[in-house]
Order: sequence, then structure tokens, then C-alpha cells
Amino acid sequence: MGGKWRVAVRTPVGACSAVLIVVVGALAVLAPIVWGAGAEATDTTAIQAGPSAAHLLGTDSLGRDILLRVLVATRLSVGLAVTATLIGLVAGVLLGIAPSVLPRRLGRLVTSAVGIAVAFPALLLALFLAVIFGVGMQGAVLAIGLAGAPSFARLTQTLAASVAGRDFVAAARVAGVGRLRLMTRHILPNIGEPLVVNATIGAGGALLAFAGLSFLGIGVQAPDYDWGRLLGDGLDRIYTNPAAALAPGVAVVVVGLAFNLFGETAAAMLGTRTRRLRPAKPAEPAEPAVRRSPARPVRDAPVLAVEDLRVAFGPVTPVRGVSFTIGAGEAVGMVGESGSGKSLTALALSGLVEQPGTVTAGRLEFLGTPLPGAPQREVRRLLGSSLAMVFQDPVASFNPTQRVGRQLAEVSEQHQGLSRRAALGRAVDRLRAVRVTEPERRARQYPHQFSGGMLQRAMIGMGLMASPRLIVADEPTTALDVRVQREVLRLLSGVRASEGAAILLISHDISVIAQTCDRVLVMYAGRIVEDMPAARLREGARHPYTRALLASVPDMDTDLDRPLTVIPGRPPEPDRMPPGCAFAPRCPRAADRCRSEDPELSRSEHRVACWHPDERSGGPA
Amino acid sequence: MSGPMSGPMSGLVSGAPARLVRAPWAAFALRRSWRFLVSLWVLVTASFLMIHLIPGDPVRAALGTTAPVELVEARRQALGLDAPLWQQYTGFLRGLLTGDLGTSMVNDLRVAQVVGERLPETIKLALPAFVLVLAISVPVGVVMAMLTRGGRRRGGELAFTSASVFVAAIPEFLLAVGLVYAFAVSLPWFPVAGREELSSYVLPVLSLAIAPAAVMARIVRVELLAVLGEDFVRTARAKRLPARLIYARHALPNALTATLTLAGLLLTSMVAGTVLVENVFAWPGLGSTIVQSILQKDYPMVQGVVLVYGAGVLLVNLLVDVLLAVLDPRSTIREG
Amino acid sequence: MSELVFDAVSVRYGRHTILREVSLTVPSGATVGLVGESGSGKSTLARAAVGLSPVTGGRVLLDGADVRGLARRPVQLVFQDPYGSLNPRMSIGESIAEPMPRGTRNRREEAARLLELVGLDPQRAGVRPAQLSGGQRQRVALARALAARPEVVIADEITSALDVSVQGSMLNLIRTLQREMSLTMLFISHNLAVVRYVSDIVAVLRHGEIVESGPAERLLKDPRHPYTQDLLDALPKL
Repeated sequence: MGGKWRVAVRTPVGACSAVLIVVVGALAVLAPIVWGAGAEATDTTAIQAGPSAAHLLGTDSLGRDILLRVLVATRLSVGLAVTATLIGLVAGVLLGIAPSVLPRRLGRLVTSAVGIAVAFPALLLALFLAVIFGVGMQGAVLAIGLAGAPSFARLTQTLAASVAGRDFVAAARVAGVGRLRLMTRHILPNIGEPLVVNATIGAGGALLAFAGLSFLGIGVQAPDYDWGRLLGDGLDRIYTNPAAALAPGVAVVVVGLAFNLFGETAAAMLGTRTRRLRPAKPAEPAEPAVRRSPARPVRDAPVLAVEDLRVAFGPVTPVRGVSFTIGAGEAVGMVGESGSGKSLTALALSGLVEQPGTVTAGRLEFLGTPLPGAPQREVRRLLGSSLAMVFQDPVASFNPTQRVGRQLAEVSEQHQGLSRRAALGRAVDRLRAVRVTEPERRARQYPHQFSGGMLQRAMIGMGLMASPRLIVADEPTTALDVRVQREVLRLLSGVRASEGAAILLISHDISVIAQTCDRVLVMYAGRIVEDMPAARLREGARHPYTRALLASVPDMDTDLDRPLTVIPGRPPEPDRMPPGCAFAPRCPRAADRCRSEDPELSRSEHRVACWHPDERSGGPA
Repeated sequence: MSGPMSGPMSGLVSGAPARLVRAPWAAFALRRSWRFLVSLWVLVTASFLMIHLIPGDPVRAALGTTAPVELVEARRQALGLDAPLWQQYTGFLRGLLTGDLGTSMVNDLRVAQVVGERLPETIKLALPAFVLVLAISVPVGVVMAMLTRGGRRRGGELAFTSASVFVAAIPEFLLAVGLVYAFAVSLPWFPVAGREELSSYVLPVLSLAIAPAAVMARIVRVELLAVLGEDFVRTARAKRLPARLIYARHALPNALTATLTLAGLLLTSMVAGTVLVENVFAWPGLGSTIVQSILQKDYPMVQGVVLVYGAGVLLVNLLVDVLLAVLDPRSTIREG
Repeated sequence: MSELVFDAVSVRYGRHTILREVSLTVPSGATVGLVGESGSGKSTLARAAVGLSPVTGGRVLLDGADVRGLARRPVQLVFQDPYGSLNPRMSIGESIAEPMPRGTRNRREEAARLLELVGLDPQRAGVRPAQLSGGQRQRVALARALAARPEVVIADEITSALDVSVQGSMLNLIRTLQREMSLTMLFISHNLAVVRYVSDIVAVLRHGEIVESGPAERLLKDPRHPYTQDLLDALPKL
């Protein structure tokens, strides 16, 4: 609990608001003691006076000093706001927890009552309640407090529901943990923090609401006074002494802001921890910068030629110099564990890495055109019609608010200049080509009406709107069942045969790649460590990592009498690369040289980056 | 997980009459209207009960301790407070259906007539204010998102966020007071009260709109940035669409649907804001009416105004949900 | 350890039938591998056995007694997602100690023993889950299930959230525990090769019904149901 508040205080905004809250707290305690009498003293020589040396902000209709009254009013204003917030918080949490404790029917009634009440603005609820509780301070505290209860109740319900749905609560139930302990040990500790943060923000809101009610004459009544009443009184004389209205106004805003900001800062801290870091997705293509001039002439005109490709996020370099080519119509697979840089490589070579990521390459040519140097317009046209992408999560990769047909059609509208109607016709045709049944009807549907496998086929169809020379498929079957996976892989192979497109297939599953591709690139810690024909994987792999990877994954022929090979340790973090070979700390063959010198990828048909490659043929170690 | 997910309405047959209902949003609107009616009933019942929840005798409270007993009795009878509760309730409902909201306890005016005169005045403030909020917040939010995405211009981002948090923390009535001081007292550009000329609308509408606009701009920016990080925006970029299409066709519509839910909340809270702003500018709308009535303990009038305000809020919520269903077909499933 | 029997178990939510009269026996000391695609109902079956899914028809029996009537929790479940299955606000030692039967002495020592059993340093009992990797968390989740001294352990896709190199060591751990504790286990996975590696018996679930079950070796070599055949054919080959 304390940790996040401490972090919040360390940010400039958090520190300022924390200091302010402390000052306000001190004022609330001390001001009435120190200046209480002064604020009541009437100065008959200066009634309704403007600012002067004796009365810095002037006096009111009884000749009382406005500055002192504003200071003294801190206690009542803040005290009432905090009391009201506590009332709202307690009532809200009780209402929020009630459905999970009460009998089902009653619980549902509470839930829907809260659902209805939460739709009304708190001020309206407060006015309604003020009628019932009566005009005055007590009535207003109850009214504002209870008016805030529905939103606290809703918050409690949502938070508790999200926690209750998590597996650790299910696990506790399976373990026989009782309802009460479930609530106190597993649910409440996990929702307490956001509740308190919201209550802090709520206190700011309550302060403003109170000022509003008092200003309207419904809240604090004479002879008591809070900032709202001082403001209301001051407004009558705004032409003669504006300070009388502005001073309590400023007090309300500043203190309200302090509560708000402190809560918001803490809330931001809460948010950052739960959010997953996704380096690969912010919004503008980062221009790959040429580091060495591409002097070499193109021989067999590969579809794609990459040399020394690097992707960096600030000081961290998750892709550390990747070089390979893809020939026309070739199917190349890229395998590696999560964090190996394979997806980032795919995004980088298709120009989709966004700021703050930076891409550099010695050479990056698509169909003989160097991408970094060419004019934007040309690159867009070239990639738009010749490079197709297929991503891992087909559901998330389609725009949920547009019909599937439209999303395919816009490719041809953009790059082939087709009319809207013609492009839609082409989209239907392409959906048929990827064996989506009833393509006319399907084209008019939204993505959520498709199954995952069907959407992935539609995604491939999207790539076929033009005539792709290369299809980059990044984990296209990871989210799919084996039989659907087979279908999608067959479709990719079919497209390769019919369109003559090359394929770069990225997967963590080495058998998927072995089955689909001619050649396999093995990635480890941001580098290619081995590049070899896929057909020879089983007996021909030479890098110890490739061998270990093959041996650690069970298949239908794995020896059941022996334990699976285990790769000890974990891959290095991209910001903590060892000086030598990145795999050396986990490698059984590592020697001194491996730990000090990073091996280069050899230059041959079968490339391997290892000082001590495993030359034994036969089954994996 | 990836089983065939067909739309909730895909089973319905096509054909002319079924055509409208086949649209997922229309079917959703029907279901959603039911919830609207239930909420409306709760609202009506709550406002009926309000007068009975007041501790003590509301008529005595309204007329004061010095009023003669006969007058109190007569007024009680006139209000029908002597009848059994259920009879009062059915009478209240019958009155509602015939557009009769009762009679003021203070000046014998028909509540329905007063409300009918005051409501347009409130709408004349709230509607322009809402339009202004959208006109300011959407462009500002979009531009700020474009300028600050990918962690660029951190200074600008901080300035924008602080400014919007600051402005949003100023409640409408304080803003109103500040605006009055600045533009009616110091610089006599606009009238402080009255509603004869167009210029008299400027300050009240601004007071209502500025804080919500700041909140909305911040939300638009955050939502847009979130959408720009979605996979389907990456798909749009992989299609090599020009930036304007990526924004206009893929990012913005999705960001706005997310924003719309909050816009509804904002609109309802602006309805509440009119209460305060009308009191600063002596605007003869529902807001000043309800405050006066509360202070005068004119309960039938309070009841009438609460009903109208509440119904307005419910209606706004209904419209927002249906609009959301039209824009984002998925929302019909979530809510259904 | 003892025998777990699903006796014509059905689970229905409204009009949707998730499981249709599923009958399956997990013999004492054996591991049954349950294979199925997403939406086949395999997780629902697991949850039904521990009371997390409402059983609308049939019974789940442990040594002939309905599990719903048993006071202790003799069936324990290990969940798929190691990031969601541990309370982030409890130390892993506390999480492991929680399901221990009443009257367990020296919970701390017992937790240490279990940590060691699943291959973790017992000194780390005080750390929060956030400080552990996915594979380590899954080991903690397994230790917590074992802490309840269950008769049967159900493992629901426990390796599918792990990287391939971590999956191997998890499977090795399961094999070790099977040998050392003669674990009775229902091992659920979509991955046939993984199921093959740890199971004595394999059952295939499709659309809420068991289409085929039998000794692992026989079933995977000589499947009789065309669906099983199709699943095997769909596996990518190295």
C-alpha cells in the first residue's frame, strides 16, 4: 500500500499536491484556534470595506475580516468534505459488497438499484437528498455523502468482480477458503488501493459540491460559514469588492485540485504497474537509417535483403544486427522464444516499428529497392501492393467497427485505384480465394461475427488484394487450434504456390516451421544464431541452442523413458547482454572464448554463429 | 474461444419487416428501452416517496410554525396527503399520465406549467454548451494525441495535462463567478444577467462548457493514443494507408466510441451544472427554480423539477447507448 | 490416492450445453490425459470436478463418494495462467500454506518442503509472485495444490502459457512427481505430444463429449475415431 503513495509523492505533481494537503490539514487544525476570535471580531469602522492594510481582503457586511474568515473556514470546508467522502465510501463499499453476501435475488436488486442511481449526476442526487434531510449542514453532509455512494458502490462491484474472476480466487475456493476469509484476504486487499485513490479524488469532488450547496444557500447556514457561503456572500458585492468572492473561490479550487492531483498521481502509479510494456507498437514508421552504403549489386534479385538490421528502444537493443535474404518464392521460417526479437525483426523490415523505436540497417532492400532511401510515396505504393502482413491475433487485428469486406477493399482502393464497388467485388473474390464460405454475406459482416480461424484466412485474403511478392506472417497460428492451424498453414503454402509469393513465417513452434518452410532462421537474444535448410533440422542442426530447443520440445516420437532436455537459466535481458556469446551462460559447450568474444554468423550455405558448433550428426543431444 | 461467433441476431430471417430489427443496434435499442422504462419508474416512485420521507409534517415545515392549524389542514387536504399512501401513489401516477404535476405550495401555480416555461430556458443553455464542448475537445484532443504520441514532446504533454486538470477542477459556478468578474466587471463586455441579446448567452454557456471540454479533451487524447496502440491500427499501417485515412477511418471512430460513453456522463453532469450556473446569472431555468423551491420548501415544485431533470438524464443515457450500438456493433453484445 | 470418476456429468449454461453426459475414470495412481480443442469443454470438466462449474447432471465421485459432499477438498486444480492464479498480495509461502488441512503442524516447514519438492529454493518462501518468472510461478501453483494433500490433482493447460524451453522442465517435474508420489492426475492439454509424454491413458473431448479414450500408446498409435485421427494428422511434423 505505502509503496505507491511514496512513488506518487516523488513525482513533482504528487509532491506539490502532498505538500498542499499537509498545509491544508495544518490550517484546518490550527486556523480556528489562532484566528477564530479574530474572524468573529466586527470592525464597525470598516463595514463592507475594500482591501486595506488592516484588512487585506476587505471586510463583510458586519465588518469582519474576510482573509481571516477564509482561513478559519478551512476546517469546516475540508472537514465536511472528508466526512461526506467517508460516508459515501463506507456506504458505497457496503452496497458494493452486499450482492456477494446477500441472497441472490436481494443481491441482484441492490446491483440494479445501484445501476440506476449511478446514472444520475451526484449534484442532482444531493439536491434530492437535501430535500429529504432538510436544508443545513447536517442535511448537506448526508446528502453529498450518500449521493457519492452509488459511484463508490459501482466501483467496488467492478473491482471486486474483476478480482473475483481471477484464478487465484478460484484456487482459494478450491482450497476450501471460507467466504469471509476470501473477502478479507483475497478480494479486499486487491481492491483497497484503487478504492482509496478514488476516495481521495472523491474528497476533492465533495469539497466542490459542498461549496456549491453552501453557495446556493442549501448547505452551511449562518452563523457557521464555509468557503461556499463566503463565496455566495461575496458574489453579491462583486462590483464593490471582488476579492471577497475571489478569495474563497481560489481556496476551493486550490484545495480541490490538491486532492484531485494527489489521487490522480497515485492512480497513474496503479495503472503503470498493471499495464504490460509493449515496445513494438506506438504510431509512425521510424525511418530506417542507412549506416553503410548498399554497394553490392543484386544478383538473383532476392525479394528481401537485410543486412545488419538493428532495432533499439533508447539504450536497449532487442534486435542486434540481423542479416538474411529471402529469394523469390522462397519460404523462410524464423524461430525463437519470446523476447528473442523475431517479431520486432518482422516489424522492422516492413517499416512498422514506431517511435520511440529506432531502426538502422546496413542494407534493407525490398524487390531491389532500398527502403530507407526511396521517397515515402514510392515505398508506400511498393509495400502496399507487394508486401502482405499476417499477425498473431486475428481478432484484434481487424477494426471492430468496420465490415470485413470494407477492410479488405480499402487496400485496392488505395493502391490500385479501384472504385469502391470494384474494390468490394475484389474483396469478395479474395475471401472466396481463401475459402471463406458465403463470401458475399461474410464481406458484409463485422469481425466479431467471424471465428478466429476464419478471420485469419480473411487476413491472408487481405494480403492477396494486390499481388504480394512476400507474405510476412508473425505467429499466424499461435492463437488457433491444431486443425485450424493446419488449414491456415496449408492456405499459406497454397498462396505461395499459386501467387509465387515468398513467405517469412515467424513462430515459436519449430515443427510448424519445419513443416512449412524451406529454410529456418533460429533467433536468440536479438541475433540469428543459425540459418539452415529446414529439412535437415533434425539431424543437421549445429548450434547448441538449436539442438537444445529441438530436444526440449516433446513430439510424437519423444523417448518416454528419458527426461526432456532442459535449457538451464533464462535468456539474457536485452539491456544486460553478456560480453561474449549471448547463449554462453546456458551452453554446455561454452568455453572461455565464448564468454569473451561474440561469434559472427559464418558465411556459407549453412550459417551458424558459434565457436564450438556441434558437428555430430544424428539425433539432437 | 474461437468457436463460431455469430451475431446475436444472425438467426433472424431476412425479409422486409424484419429488416430493421435485423440490424443489431435496433434490436439492442428495443432491449435497452425496457431498462429505460424501469429506471423511469424508479425515478417516478422515488420522487413520489421524497415528500413522504421528509421527517415530520412537510406542510407544517413549508408553512412555518406560526401558520394556523386550519390552513395546514386545508393544505394537507388539497395535496391529498390524508389519503392512504397507495391512493396517493395511483393519483400521482394518474396525474403524471395526464401531464398534471400538482400545484405549487407557495404560489398556487400549476407545476407542469412552470416547468414547461422553465425547461426551454435550461435547454437553451445546456445544448449550446454541449456543442461547444465537442467543438473544442475533439480537435484539441486529437491534435494533442498526434503531437505527443510515442512519448514525444513530453513538455507539451505535461503542460496540456496540467492545464486540463486545472481547468477541469474549477466547478461551473466558480468559473461563472470568475468570468463575471473578468468580463462583466473588469471588462464590461458582456451582461452579467438577463437574456435578451445573444451576448447574454456567452458567459453562462462558457461557464458550463469549459471544464467539461477540458476533461473531454484529455479523454479524447488518452483514448486515441490507446487506439493507436491497437493491433488493427498496425494492420492499417501494414496496408500502407496514408496517415489521414488511418486516423479518420480506423483510429478516430474507435476512439470516439470509447469517448462517447464518457460524453454521456458529461452531458448529464452538465445538466446538473445548469443548476449552479443559472443561479449565478439569475437565469430563469429549471436550476434556479429547484433551488428556490428547496429553500421555500415548495415540495410539489421540487418533485416536478426532479422528475424532469431525472427523465432528461435517463433519456441522454438511452441515446448514448443506442448511438454506441450503431457505431460499435460489439457493444450490443456486451450490454445485451 | 484414489480413483476419480466422472459419472455422466453434464454442464449447461442456459441453453448452451458445455458438457453432455461425460463419463471418465481417472484410476488411482494413474495420469489421464484429456485432449480437446478450444471450446471442447475440457476446462469446464476440470472446474466441475472442484465445484467451480455447476454440475447440472450426473456426479463426480471420489472412491464412490460424491465430491460435493466431502468436507475436505480432495481434488485440487492447477490453473493455466500462472500470472493470475497467485494472489499478488500474499507471499508464495502464505499461498502454499493456505490450503493445508486444518491441524497441520509447522506450516512453514511444510511450505519449505513443498517448495523444494517443486524445485524452488525454500529460502524464497517470503517473496511475492511478482518477483518470479512464469515457470517459477507455475511451480508455486503446483506446490499449493499439493499442500492440500489432495487425492487427485487436475492440471488444466499448465504448460501452455510457458515458453517451450520452460515447458520441458515443467513436464520433467510432473514426471518426477508421478514417480515419487504415485500421483493420481487429470492432465488437460490441447497439445497431443505433451499429453503423450505424461499420460497413461488418453481421452479425447469434442463438443462436450468424449469421442474416444484408451491406453495412451494404443490410442495415439491406432486411433479408432476419425476425429482423433484428424487431430493426429493435423500435428506439424519435424
